[in-house]
Amino acid sequence: MASEPATTVELELEEEQRLVEEAQQGNLDAMRPILERYAAPLYGTVILPRLGDAASAEEVLRDTLATAVEKIRRFTWQGKSLYPWLRQIAINKVYDVHRQSKRSRRLADAMVHEIAVESDPASHADAQLIADQERRAHRDRIDATMQQLQERYRSAIELRLIQELSREDCARRLGVTIGTFDVLLFRAVRAFRKHFGERAELPRTGDT
Amino acid sequence: MATQDEDTLTGSVPDPETEPTAAELAHARRFAELVDKTLSGRTPPAMSADDRALLEVATVIRATHGNLELAPNQQRAAVEDALRQAIGSEPAGAGRGQVTSIAGARARLRRRAPWIVAGTMTLVAAAAIAMLWLRTPGGTGRGNPVARRAVPEEWTSRPADSLVGPIARDHAGDAGARIDAIFADRLDGFRTRRLARGGKP
Repeated sequence: MASEPATTVELELEEEQRLVEEAQQGNLDAMRPILERYAAPLYGTVILPRLGDAASAEEVLRDTLATAVEKIRRFTWQGKSLYPWLRQIAINKVYDVHRQSKRSRRLADAMVHEIAVESDPASHADAQLIADQERRAHRDRIDATMQQLQERYRSAIELRLIQELSREDCARRLGVTIGTFDVLLFRAVRAFRKHFGERAELPRTGDT
Repeated sequence: MATQDEDTLTGSVPDPETEPTAAELAHARRFAELVDKTLSGRTPPAMSADDRALLEVATVIRATHGNLELAPNQQRAAVEDALRQAIGSEPAGAGRGQVTSIAGARARLRRRAPWIVAGTMTLVAAAAIAMLWLRTPGGTGRGNPVARRAVPEEWTSRPADSLVGPIARDHAGDAGARIDAIFADRLDGFRTRRLARGGKP
């Protein structure tokens, strides 16, 4: 029973390899199932957390997928999923966006900051596992930054941005007026940004 | 002295208990409304750079906690666009034409719509100009034919230039004489017509 998931992953990899080879032989439409499978994790765990803007993230996703289709002939199958290759294309695109917009702010650097997510090619790591691992790494950084905030600020962010409660509910939970809650959230996000940016000034690893 | 905007991003953040200034209160309210709109999926396209920077922080936090997933229709559109873009740039014969879908067709139509509208408008304008030109008397003469009755010239409405001729400046005041000449000519025509009918009107 324990070997079944591995078998499933291997079957998926076999199917993926077949589709990649088909695409490399000229049938680019063979890429469709692969792109459909990886679009969401690329957007949710690679692009959006590094850009912070949904519209730009969507654009970068499109560019990433288009580049992948255009360059699929250069891809060499190494017995692991196409996802790490797609992820690297996406990260390069995010860098391009930050360079083009000439963002010099520390937060932008922090968002682009590479989180080393290693996938062992021999383990046939599933793309979802890589995405989950990356999401966890992002969350660890967010949580670490949250720990540096004052409790009231942490609560404001948790209630409003993570639990997505209404302003009224957030204010009620914290026992303040809506106006006061607005100020708390405003300051909380400012404080978060400062601390998050400071963390990004640590030496980078994994960027290429 | 730092401006308010510089303070927003780089200034120190007061403690939660610190009384807000009126300016901070107003900015906080504006930011809260931006967050409201963003949470309901209506992020305004225009906002200050500082508000955008703070909103990006909020989006990063939400995305990291899985609160921002790619909607299925956005995913489909991204895949379709990518395939269309890549296949469109492929040399002929390499997988071309294998991607056909309603979403792709709609995306193509959306992109081409401005050109289609502009082209149509240009054609309509050109046709209107051509019609106007053809309808002018000085055109090619292929305008609508004018029915001419077979009647003597003196029975028809006609210019009086030949009767009056060029008016010299020193005779400019002789309008009465010119009117008399025209009246006499027209009266001749009337008489001719009257006599042609045996004196009946």
